[in-house]
Amino acid sequence: MSTTSEAYPGDANPTEYTPLIDQNIGIMRRFFRGRKWYGTEWYITVFGGFILVAVLLTTVLAPVLAPHDPNSFIGAPFTPPGGGLLAVIARQGESPIGPSDSIDGQSIGTTRNSNGATWTKELGIGRQRYNEEEETIAALQNGEVDLILVEERQVEELLASNPDFEVIQEGLGRRYIAGTDNLGRDIESRLIWGARTILGVAVISALFSSLIGIPLGLTSAFIGGKLDKGLSLAMDSIYSFPGLLLAVALAAMLGPSVVNVTIAISVVYIPTFYRVTRGQVLSIRENMYVEAARSLGAKRSAILFRYISPNVIPSVVVVFSLNIADAILTAAGLSFIGLGLPPDIPDWGYDLNKGHSFLVAGHWWMITFPGILITLVAAGFSLLGEGLSEILNPRLVKG
Amino acid sequence: MSTGLRRYVVVRLLLTIPMLLILVTLVFFVLRIIPGDPALAVLREGASEEQLQSFRVATGLDQPLHVQYLEFLGGLLRLDFGESMTRNVPVIDEIKTFFPATVELALAAMMVTTTVGILFGVYAAHHRKKASDYGIRISSIILYSIPIFWLGLMLQMIVGAKFGWLPVSGRLSAGNTPEETITGLYTIDAILTLNWDLFVDAVRHLILPAVTLGLVLAGIFIRLTRANMLGVLEQDYITAGRARGLRERVLVYKHGLRNAAIPIVTLLGLQVALLLAGAILTETTFSWPGLGRLVVDRIYDRDFTTLQGSIIFFALIVALVSLLVDVLYGFLDPRIRY
Repeated sequence: MSTTSEAYPGDANPTEYTPLIDQNIGIMRRFFRGRKWYGTEWYITVFGGFILVAVLLTTVLAPVLAPHDPNSFIGAPFTPPGGGLLAVIARQGESPIGPSDSIDGQSIGTTRNSNGATWTKELGIGRQRYNEEEETIAALQNGEVDLILVEERQVEELLASNPDFEVIQEGLGRRYIAGTDNLGRDIESRLIWGARTILGVAVISALFSSLIGIPLGLTSAFIGGKLDKGLSLAMDSIYSFPGLLLAVALAAMLGPSVVNVTIAISVVYIPTFYRVTRGQVLSIRENMYVEAARSLGAKRSAILFRYISPNVIPSVVVVFSLNIADAILTAAGLSFIGLGLPPDIPDWGYDLNKGHSFLVAGHWWMITFPGILITLVAAGFSLLGEGLSEILNPRLVKG
Repeated sequence: MSTGLRRYVVVRLLLTIPMLLILVTLVFFVLRIIPGDPALAVLREGASEEQLQSFRVATGLDQPLHVQYLEFLGGLLRLDFGESMTRNVPVIDEIKTFFPATVELALAAMMVTTTVGILFGVYAAHHRKKASDYGIRISSIILYSIPIFWLGLMLQMIVGAKFGWLPVSGRLSAGNTPEETITGLYTIDAILTLNWDLFVDAVRHLILPAVTLGLVLAGIFIRLTRANMLGVLEQDYITAGRARGLRERVLVYKHGLRNAAIPIVTLLGLQVALLLAGAILTETTFSWPGLGRLVVDRIYDRDFTTLQGSIIFFALIVALVSLLVDVLYGFLDPRIRY
């Protein structure tokens, strides 16, 4: 070996060469040293990974994290974020109950669209329903009812305009951090359960497409000839076509179900994996070490599986991550068009579709939160893939 | 035309034919995997057996699948996409009605994409490895990760519904119709007929959808521009120019950008599939009466012939645009040959 090293001027002083990556340190230390080796790309990767871990945890812990059942009509419709808590108001000095008394059996006024309706039902009180806020307040003023239930956030304004009212009890009911939707379902719970849905669909469809695309790409590139030409042409045709349109056609024909949407999306992305794998195999095949193995008499299968395949993995990992990001967007797009999952499955895209109708009425929380989450998760996978591509294949992406 | 170029163009043309055939076949069979009877799907429950049978005969559904397929291919050669299953009009007429809206939206979105993409992409490449570069790169990833329809909804809500600055749906205000359609693009028609009010109305309706579609695509375009500019800025002639004391701005925007422009425009041309996919969602969000809306609407109607025709029309457009871009690239860059 020493004779060869002298033959190359670059290797003339091997002692001065310090390896960039010290092989003898542990995984954890290597992880934390990453930022020195890779610079900003390391932060990008870690940030993407962080989002990924957060979503994974949400997915696993959905039953624990979600405060309510995502499908039950639990509160009043269109409760804005942070709302939902109620206060009991009475005319000053005339309250039939005290701050700690149960309000059971009292005549109480509630507006149709406040949580009052739900709460009086659960507390079992005799109640009077009014359609308008003003009607309810008037009912208390003229003595029609003794107490009214109002949203806590309205109390201050109400007391300012009606100085003869007083607050008897506060903090009744539940607070909805992200508000409720048009059917009174808790949006926060729907968001948490929706993470499970979208991640499941995206990851499983990416797995499907890679399980079909990678072997096809490997064999196609390795065998070559007519098979390779034909397959490449077919894959290129599908690849050049708007993926969403193909998914739309497939999903529309197969009908709404989790399995069908997953199939529709995975078909769209098979060519992506095929092309990457094929391209990688074609370039790796030309490497000197493959040549060496071949000349030493390695079997074709050994060359394919022991020399070429392991080197395809880094690119595939990158594409897998980017692909999940894309699949998330496609799945959300399908749901938004109305071709996604059945309505009983909490799904961010479906919630956006529903929220669209109530946008003009000003119910911003129905569309804001699901959209932010889709963006965040898709961006997380994109950033992870992006960072990984710089770290795993420094020459793949310029910059 | 040199022989090399001629060969390149011919090969590229010949390759387009099998690609289209594969896509057409795929679409044909995908639209026939529907579980159950398509006649029942169109006419819905409650249709009598005679109704079903006459519908099958009228639409050719009673024929064996391979006969249907061959007839369908024969029709395509004459640009005949068949007759709509739910409306008594040829599919090609439906496409003619809806297509101009998509073209108008796509062109306007392209303008947004190129403006934003070139400005930020060149800036990032010029300030490589600086904070602004990383900022732009991360923003472009996030931009691309935004669901296009959600960006549309947000703009509708803030710019449209809350402040009322711009209309949120349709191509023109109610009651405002162009006197004559020349191109079908209302903005161009308005200029041609010198109808100023129509032009303003059409542009006002166009802004939000175009910005929505354009911004999301700009996420990709910024990256393309940056990568290509980096390649160019490393070239010797840039260093030479700098040594001669050329101003940095001239160097980057004149000498650099011009040379990066060809691959950038080519790559943008190849994003047409992405543009059309985005257009489907944008059109759904903004009730924009384009080809994407046609597809989505007809899915609910279960109008398979129109669906099939418009999806294949999409495939045609994608194939033609990428053919055009490739051939153009072949003209501009003599190194590109098969």
